Amino acid sequence: MILINLISLSLLYYLKKSSGAREFPEHLHRYFKYGMIAAGVLIALGIVHAPPEILFELLSFVLVGAVVYLMLNTPELSYLKTLAITPLPIIGVRLLEYVIKTLSPAIFDIVENYLDAAGVFAFIWAVTMWLNHRKQMKEIEIERIITKEQERQLRTTEEQKNQLETLVAERTKEILSQKEELQYALDHLRSTQEQLIQQEKLASLGQLTAGIAHEIKNPLNFVNNFSELSVDFLQEISEEMPKIPDSPEKENILDLLENVKSNLGKIRHHGSRADSIVRSMLMHSRGGSGTMDPTDLNALIREYSNLAFHGMRANPNPINVDIQLSLDETLPKVKLNAEDFSRVILNLLKNAFDAMRDKLATAGSDYKARVEVRTQDLGDKVLVEVEDNGPGVPDHIKDKLLMPFFTTKKGTEGTGLGLSITHDIVNSHEGTLEISTEEGKFTRFTILLPKR
Amino acid sequence: MKILFVDDERDVEDLFRQKFRKEIRSGKLELAFAFSGQEALELLSTDNPPKFVYVFSDINMPGMSGLELLEEIKSRFPLIQVSMISAYGDQENYDKAMSSGAKGFFTKPVDFDSLKKEISSLIEDRD
Ligand SMILES: [Mg+2]
Repeated sequence: MILINLISLSLLYYLKKSSGAREFPEHLHRYFKYGMIAAGVLIALGIVHAPPEILFELLSFVLVGAVVYLMLNTPELSYLKTLAITPLPIIGVRLLEYVIKTLSPAIFDIVENYLDAAGVFAFIWAVTMWLNHRKQMKEIEIERIITKEQERQLRTTEEQKNQLETLVAERTKEILSQKEELQYALDHLRSTQEQLIQQEKLASLGQLTAGIAHEIKNPLNFVNNFSELSVDFLQEISEEMPKIPDSPEKENILDLLENVKSNLGKIRHHGSRADSIVRSMLMHSRGGSGTMDPTDLNALIREYSNLAFHGMRANPNPINVDIQLSLDETLPKVKLNAEDFSRVILNLLKNAFDAMRDKLATAGSDYKARVEVRTQDLGDKVLVEVEDNGPGVPDHIKDKLLMPFFTTKKGTEGTGLGLSITHDIVNSHEGTLEISTEEGKFTRFTILLPKR
Repeated sequence: MKILFVDDERDVEDLFRQKFRKEIRSGKLELAFAFSGQEALELLSTDNPPKFVYVFSDINMPGMSGLELLEEIKSRFPLIQVSMISAYGDQENYDKAMSSGAKGFFTKPVDFDSLKKEISSLIEDRD
């Protein structure tokens, strides 16, 4: 009886011990614990031969049977099958002994020797199975180690994969932001290049126009001078004519002379038109002359807006304009070529007057022409703004405004050089000129000059 | 009174002759024209002393420039007055002309009123 319980105890002890490496469910641990206690108690009872011995022996067989049953029928323990069947023959022999002894001690005496022999075979079987089990366990352990190692490698690979993915994601992000930066730089470069091309075009055009202007100036002077002289002569002729007696021929001559006079007037008119263009062109291309001196910009603006206004009033088609000066009185003196910069003010105001004149002609009587000139100290820069409430500039024209010879003015009114010259002058001051406009509402020229 | 105009543009002759038609007809003024600096110097040297009292010269001319002519005249005929007429009214030309002894500096297109004034003041000085 003690042997059976020792088998139960050692099986349970083995199970409990091997549960360290393999994690068994909680209820199995409970079974192991109570099983071991029960085995212990039965061993103690066996030693002291406590009655009723027959019951305790039966209980011992039940316990060992339960342990073997548990081992054979629990999926977690299936790997211990060999171990579970190891003690089976011993238990079988003992059980047979127990049954025979209990039922008929007489028969037991007869078969005792056979049972002893069976016990020896059962023991040999048990030893063989035990060795088998050890071998299996080793194989399983090796397999387990291999699996564990494979799992470890898999985990490492997984980790490395994750790390790589994180790295790739980071790099991708970096590359994307670099791409954006590059895109920005490229856009910037493109617009700078466009500006440069524009400036280059303006510069070469400036040189070209200077050359052309000089070449045209002399012949043009002749045209103007000779036509002026001829008008004078015609005046003298008409003073002499009354001294000649009337005749149909004289009448015809007078008629023709009248035509000649009118033609000469036209030559004179268009000649002086060409002359003013040529003069503008020459001023346009004239660069580098004049000096940059600290200038009271507000005073310059006051003087030249006044001049622009009275100039406009004295010319054909004067208009009523409200000129507002919003000047920053804290403005320090700015290094300027005052002569050039005064032209900027004159040009921008003239431009505003012309634009508002057009609007006055079409808009209702509610429209009041108004132009505002602003200055402001922006710290390292000085702002000069000229804003009119004229018709504004359509988008497709806006970019062309600063081009030489671009004009929206009809026929003989503009030279198309005013804003282009203005732009050049602002550039020569290392400043910027920007146009913001809304059609039908306003046009604003914003000049930013560095203070230096 | 004899005045010499120097300009490489030949039509200058017609223009000035017509402009000063009355003065020429009245005999107060006698005009001569040269179309290069060289030609001007030849004309000035035909009589000794030269009959010209005043020279108006263009600056931009092929060959001898107006400013060179000015220096030449000033050294050879110091009594003759010289004024410059130029399409290039820039500071550099003006300064150079004035420092070389020019009496006046006119820019093209010529303001005939101021030119006539200059000449009539000369005529009056002689009268
Ligand atoms: Mg010339």
